Amino acid sequence: MVSVINTVDTSHEDMIHDAQMDYYGTRLATCSSDRSVKIFDVRNGGQILIADLRGHEGPVWQVAWAHPMYGNILASCSYDRKVIIWKEENGTWEKTHEHSGHDSSVNSVCWSPHDYGLILACGSSDGAISLLTYTGEGQWEVKKINNAHAIGCNAVSWAPAVVPGSLIDQPSGQKPNYIKKFASGGCDNLIKLWKEEEDGQWKEEQKLEAHSDWVRDVAWAPSIGLPTSTIASCSQDGRVFIWTCDDASGNTWSPKLLHKFNDVVWHVSWSITANILAVSGGDNKVTLWKESVDGQWVCISDVNKGQGSVSASVTEGQQNEQ
Amino acid sequence: AGRRRTTSGEGRERQAASGAAIPDRRAPLVADWVPRRERLPRPSDPGPAAPPPPPPPMEKMSRVTTALGGSTLTGRTMHCHLDAPANAISVCRDAAQVVVAGRSIFKIYSIEEEQFVEKLNLRVGRKPSLNLSCADVVWHQMDENLLATAATNGVVVTWNLGRPSRNKQDQLFTEHKRTVNKVCFHPTEAHVLLSGSQDGFMKCFDLRRKDSVSTFSGEAEKWSIHQRLLGPLRGCPLYPLGLLVEGQSESVRDVQFSIRDYFTFASTFENGNVQLWDIRRPDRCERMFTAHNGPVFCCDWHPEDRGWLATGGRDKMVKVWDMTTHRAKEMHCVQTIASVARVKWRPECRHHLATCSMMVDHNIYVWDVRRPFVPAAMFEEHRDVTTGIAWRHPHDPSFLLSGSKDSSLCQHLFRDASQPVERANPEGLCYGLFGDLAFAAKESLVAAESGRKPYPGDRRHPMFFKRKLDPAEPFAGLASSALSVFETEPGGGSMGWFVDTAERYALTGRPLAELCDHNAKVARELGRNQVAQTWTMLRIIYCSPGLVPSANLNHSVGKGSSCGLPLMNSFNLKDMAPGLGSETRLDRNKGDTRSDTALLDSSATLITNEDNEETEGSDVPTDYLLGDAEGEEDELYLLDPEHAHPEEPEYVLPQEAFPLRHEIVDTPPGPEHLQDKADSPHVSGSEADATSLAPMDSSFSLLSVSHALYDSRLPPDFFSTLVCDMLRFYAEQGDVQMAVSVLIVLGERVRKDIDEQTQEHWYTSYIDLLQRFRLWNVSNEVVKLSTSRAISCLNQASTTLHVNCSHCKRPMSSRGWVCDRCHRCASMCAVCHHVVKGLFVWCQGCSHGGHLQHIMKWLEGSSHCPAGCGHLCEYS
Repeated sequence: MVSVINTVDTSHEDMIHDAQMDYYGTRLATCSSDRSVKIFDVRNGGQILIADLRGHEGPVWQVAWAHPMYGNILASCSYDRKVIIWKEENGTWEKTHEHSGHDSSVNSVCWSPHDYGLILACGSSDGAISLLTYTGEGQWEVKKINNAHAIGCNAVSWAPAVVPGSLIDQPSGQKPNYIKKFASGGCDNLIKLWKEEEDGQWKEEQKLEAHSDWVRDVAWAPSIGLPTSTIASCSQDGRVFIWTCDDASGNTWSPKLLHKFNDVVWHVSWSITANILAVSGGDNKVTLWKESVDGQWVCISDVNKGQGSVSASVTEGQQNEQ
Repeated sequence: AGRRRTTSGEGRERQAASGAAIPDRRAPLVADWVPRRERLPRPSDPGPAAPPPPPPPMEKMSRVTTALGGSTLTGRTMHCHLDAPANAISVCRDAAQVVVAGRSIFKIYSIEEEQFVEKLNLRVGRKPSLNLSCADVVWHQMDENLLATAATNGVVVTWNLGRPSRNKQDQLFTEHKRTVNKVCFHPTEAHVLLSGSQDGFMKCFDLRRKDSVSTFSGEAEKWSIHQRLLGPLRGCPLYPLGLLVEGQSESVRDVQFSIRDYFTFASTFENGNVQLWDIRRPDRCERMFTAHNGPVFCCDWHPEDRGWLATGGRDKMVKVWDMTTHRAKEMHCVQTIASVARVKWRPECRHHLATCSMMVDHNIYVWDVRRPFVPAAMFEEHRDVTTGIAWRHPHDPSFLLSGSKDSSLCQHLFRDASQPVERANPEGLCYGLFGDLAFAAKESLVAAESGRKPYPGDRRHPMFFKRKLDPAEPFAGLASSALSVFETEPGGGSMGWFVDTAERYALTGRPLAELCDHNAKVARELGRNQVAQTWTMLRIIYCSPGLVPSANLNHSVGKGSSCGLPLMNSFNLKDMAPGLGSETRLDRNKGDTRSDTALLDSSATLITNEDNEETEGSDVPTDYLLGDAEGEEDELYLLDPEHAHPEEPEYVLPQEAFPLRHEIVDTPPGPEHLQDKADSPHVSGSEADATSLAPMDSSFSLLSVSHALYDSRLPPDFFSTLVCDMLRFYAEQGDVQMAVSVLIVLGERVRKDIDEQTQEHWYTSYIDLLQRFRLWNVSNEVVKLSTSRAISCLNQASTTLHVNCSHCKRPMSSRGWVCDRCHRCASMCAVCHHVVKGLFVWCQGCSHGGHLQHIMKWLEGSSHCPAGCGHLCEYS
């Protein structure tokens, strides 16, 4: 089911905390405790170091690629309380903006869907979430949600851009009225959903409660062919939940336990078509999960550690994949 | 030497215990060291000789203490409020008392289990003396009654707690001219005190004397260099000797006696230098090197005898130097977040050291020097700059004391420290575009795993990169990560099929049946049998409506149709399709191609339908007869689904399936749907390929016609709900490609049954995906073929047409007909000289033009421009 096609020699001097592929799947950005962010060209199984970005003064926790329609832009956040936005200009990567509006480690960054423009959400250990909006000419406008999560925010993830009503109803030439939403997970064991009000302020829309320990990651599923909204969350408590909302108002969310792992679950990541969820846990194992026809989530494979050993675990009631 | 330390008289005991190694107290010890070059101390000096540097006496001492103090340190994380900000703290050797000193505080606290208790206030007297404004304080590690403070006014004071009076002040040395930054007792000598001052001098005091015994200048090295330089220049009047010698001295920030070498001490300077001195030789330092960029605020010798010196500077770095080698060698470099004000090795933990900063950052960090980027532990109690840190006991790694500018004294328990390393995410995971997974994980774990499970030769377990580890260093939780990219197979989210499918699917330009067949073939070649089957079924439904497919469709869709479903049989048949196909095609071409071509239109099925009707009399007369019997058979099928099972060939006769008469438009409405006309002649043949179950004999065409006769009974509309459900199913499964492709191929047949918004959503999702995969052409085609207005206008959205005025040739800025620059009407018809308000046609060569009809008419008569410009206009 899964095999290693490439092992990237990152030459990072310390632990790697995040690895993100860009929009076209050709470049891989990594960040590490060694304070550096590196970008590799991984086309055709290669691994060419394109850039080694230095500028952070602490471990870099996360990186995020912006949509390529804005150019090659990468955001990184660090223990040094800073968020740095890097941009490639004429083949060289430079720091284009530095945001130091947080009082503690910034743990997560996420770019909004490109339809909204360039907006970056940053979640920090100071409990606040800040939103940086590019207003042109190198200027960034900052909005801050204070006390979004008590003790700290660990993850942010944007909802895909969905327009209320049909595109046809939009007056032509006018920007459609997107409802901007994102999810955040924090040390208060909560997942919160935030919505931008008409006056441009961000308001807590929902509080999703199910985890019994810090929420480590949230991932809003890409909306490919699905009218429903889906969010995956994972936590220190070892549990992974899939939250779905079927109703149009977006207010009723129901959790479904995907699995309870024995260790911390660090990451959840949706496949591009949102039908498979990759989960990585404290045992350094990646498992892939898919919803079966009867609505149960079944594990379709394990990616074992860095070496790709495979145990196609057959869970009860699991249907064979094709 | 293994006595229990308790009493105050213990100092004496200790000295007795280690007396062998300590010079006679009555002898002028310091005098022995005194830096007369001609009188270096000899081991054979009278009295108990100064010990040879290695092995240092301290070594012995510390072991004693280990044996003594192994037992009972209890306490918890706690703090107490001080009256004033602290500048420095120092712990008594009994680990039960701590002294806090600041500009306006000088107190001793005892460390109880639950709290700090103020024991003694050393600030006595009515008016506070500047001598009591302490920059540093140090408690002697051998004598519990002996303390020294460094005052901001340059005074060094010693204190004797054994004095009976309230004022414990013992000696006062007023030799420094500026703030004394640091005082330091010799680790094993009771009477030797060293001070380092802002004035650039270090002084060594013998506490039995009234003044310093030697002075060390930070500039000594420079001075001697100048002297050497000046040697040959002596006679030169331009370089008076005095000026050069009295250069600005660099301020001393820290002084520390070595634990390893009896005579050695290190000093650090504001210019980034570190000097190593032999206390017997004040004229010049033994060694000097530049350790930091900017001031070096602190240093600390490693408590074990390894000759390691840690230095911390304003450059936010802590560096660990090996001083045993000929040249100081940088062993480790820790980068902290802020300038490093204090550094203290953690007892019993070879690689740990604690640091605090003098600005910005109020936290205390404990670092593992082998892991220089993330602190191993962090104490966050203080609200202002931490000014002093001290481990409570030289052999206990868990208690740390600290004083701060926030006027508090804290005891931190290592257990309670927050550990950023633990909080840090050790893994990175990302689903790539092609369904590949990038996964970074802590390598120690990975290595362990891979060692356990060797799979030599298996492609799935290739070699992967591991960082070479220094075998000398124990690999204890120090981090490095392995980053691997995995590919997943189709079920695991791999998207390889997506690209292939997108590129190879035919969405338009051919008859429906052919499109379905083609797409089914594409899907099957990519191993996507379910999709292939769906296409086949679609073809059956819409091109040869009958009961057989309906039964299958119900079955598979209803079940979610994973794979290996009932239509398997049709696959088997497919395998023989090529032979069959060519055969029938030949047949057809012989028989009736001629009439086909004459009737060709966009509907291939229509053609074949007509073809049959037209030719039935001559070619296959039996068709007609069968057709007569149609009604009964139909009924039969309806009643008995078993009959419909494809395993029974006599009922499965889908080929030559002709849809309803009224289904005239077969290909989706695409602008180029007429382009492929030429391909059409063989259409009927390949249609037959696709689903034929009939043996290759003459009955083939005969049977096919019989089906044509059913179709009015079961219109494709019958299935459209099912088909829509199926599309939704695919979309939900993440295969929006299938949903959109079917939507386009079937066109009007299903469009009305799916609400506009869902369609739009599918289209946008699919287009977005296509663009991510850089399949621009496919994406454009999809946009073009989409029937949703919101989607099809996407192609027009980003194209701008710039118009210039035909008179002045400048850009037309306003939207009207009049150019704002030359104030003439831009779009005049060159023929009738009126403003063109509708369709305007113009020559790209001379930019003249006019009403379409006028220009067309004009060009019938002349090929020159109607405006008379002489241009030979070309309109295409």
